[in-house]
Amino acid sequence: MSEARARRTSAAYRIAFTFSAGFLLAIVLLGAAVYLAADAEFRRQQDASLVEETGELVDAYRSQGLADLRQRVGLRQTGSVAQFGYALFDPSGRRESGSLNTRRPATGLRDIVVVDPIEGPDPARALVTRLADGRTLVVAVDPEALERVDRTILVIFAGAFAIVVVLCGLGALLLGSYLRRRLEQISDTARAIVAGDLSQRVPVGSRGDEFDALGESLNAMLDRIARLLDSLRQVSSDVAHDLRTPLARLRGSLEAMLDGPPDRAALKQALRQSDELLAIFAAILRISEVEGGALARSFAPVDIAALAADICETYAPAVADGRRMLAWDTGAAAVVLGDRELIAQALINLLDNAQAHTPPGSALTVSVTDMDGEIALNVADDGPGVAAADRERIVHRFVRLEHSRTTPGNGLGLNLVAAIAAAHGGTLAITDNAPGLRATIRMPKVRP
Amino acid sequence: MRILLAEDDDATAALVERGLGDLDHVVTRVACGDDAVALGLDTPFDVAILDRMLPGIDGVEVLAQWRASGVTTPVLMLTALGGIADRVAGLEAGADDYLVKPFALAELAARIAALLRRPPISAAPATSFTVGDVTLDLLRRDVRRSGREIRLQPREFALLEQLMRNAGRVVTRTMVLESVWNFHFDPQTNIVESHLSRMRAKLNEGFEHDPIETVRGIGYRMRGDV
Repeated sequence: MSEARARRTSAAYRIAFTFSAGFLLAIVLLGAAVYLAADAEFRRQQDASLVEETGELVDAYRSQGLADLRQRVGLRQTGSVAQFGYALFDPSGRRESGSLNTRRPATGLRDIVVVDPIEGPDPARALVTRLADGRTLVVAVDPEALERVDRTILVIFAGAFAIVVVLCGLGALLLGSYLRRRLEQISDTARAIVAGDLSQRVPVGSRGDEFDALGESLNAMLDRIARLLDSLRQVSSDVAHDLRTPLARLRGSLEAMLDGPPDRAALKQALRQSDELLAIFAAILRISEVEGGALARSFAPVDIAALAADICETYAPAVADGRRMLAWDTGAAAVVLGDRELIAQALINLLDNAQAHTPPGSALTVSVTDMDGEIALNVADDGPGVAAADRERIVHRFVRLEHSRTTPGNGLGLNLVAAIAAAHGGTLAITDNAPGLRATIRMPKVRP
Repeated sequence: MRILLAEDDDATAALVERGLGDLDHVVTRVACGDDAVALGLDTPFDVAILDRMLPGIDGVEVLAQWRASGVTTPVLMLTALGGIADRVAGLEAGADDYLVKPFALAELAARIAALLRRPPISAAPATSFTVGDVTLDLLRRDVRRSGREIRLQPREFALLEQLMRNAGRVVTRTMVLESVWNFHFDPQTNIVESHLSRMRAKLNEGFEHDPIETVRGIGYRMRGDV
């Protein structure tokens, strides 16, 4: 798109220019109002000066008589600054003195035409007064002064208007290009991301204006998408890396069966291996669903204390069958916002883990504690525990410690628990129970 | 029983057809959503198995169209999507049961059997069950065997109720997990087995005969013949 075409279609320029045009229209209206008001005021003053001059002359005529009037008229129209023109008509309508070359007009304030011997007909403003003896006095003023004032106002206004037009045009261009530049930064970023550079972010200024706010929201969105993509990439590479081994094993045993006689035990083994693979897939999919965050939309208040007590009651017989003991102390209601089934699964994973990694005779303890603002769900055992160096590592995907290779499991259980804790705005911490291991899920408490 | 199977994958469809055929069900298979809608509206079936992802109209939409047209055939939805949101969407659309692929044929057969025997919605819900010499009363929440009261924990009671509702048919471990605990995942610890063995011990105390049969690798069955 050419720059000129871009400007024509640009909303930023359209807004800036529309605003400027509106501004200019307002100035024209204002100018017209000022002009008309000034013109009317000048005309009023002109008429007032005619009334005043005429009043003076008529007073002089009344007190001093006709001769004095003639003398005054003669003096005034020949003065160095002859503001007015005069004419005195006798009762028959003949001009007997005064230099105004006009016929006798009717009385009152009116526009008349005087004929100048040199310049020809010329409009004038006149006050025509009938005197007591039947004579008519005409005092006229040349409207040229008024026209000059009008013209001056017009010229000044036109000049100022031209300057304002130029300034408005420049302002609109500047504003338009500023808006366009800010928006361009955002769409440039979007285009770069579409083109494949996912690390691009919208530049955010320090002003904290709407554009900065928009940029921040977009960047937050991009960060979220990037995290999801990272998690997806991580899943893909985990899948590629950690599913290949069991798949290769399965393939190997199937191949061996092809060569040998039908072997039900080997078939059962192969079936078991494929079930394990499917369980891994289910776990990975569950983790990515939890990490995806979409479940948060259906979160509802869950009483962790009641849920934990319920699950412990359910688990106690099975734990006892495994010759371990389960004790629980869940206390009063402790409500978080979450998904009941996910939290149940997290606790069950921790319980499954505790059983799988402790010797018979171990004691498992579940407790729910309410600290300010946070609910802590603890699952502790008095088994062999985990070396301090490994405690953080075991939460990662597919991590299985050397001595637990032989116990069932796929190395995804704790990772799912961590994902569930994170989805609820919480954390999973693995600490030393001295002796044994303690897993703690902390989640923000719902204010009653 | 006549079963409508809407499944686009030929291998899965063949497996299900053969498996259910062996149990003397008559299976009619369609491979796309439009055919499923048309056939379901046209012909009465005892139960329908709908794949969630069908070519054309998907399973949820097929179900919605049936229900909108007053087709009340029980529906089991099959899906390769195991997500919580997917299951909720399927059940909200009106599916009576939901099974995630891949599944054991025995699991599918057990669930189909449960759906086939489900009493019509219009019937008043049963409040007590009697199987052989065992009677379970939902209102009084008590269990009697040959008139003698047997005290059960709430979960054990729910477990026995589930078996008695489906007397004569296999109830799988996952069906128990879903109906008694509302768990839609498989804990490594066998909680079903530990509860069942305790419940069974209480039920059989002082009696020769064990009315609960363990079906190896699949689940349990309450024998209705004694």
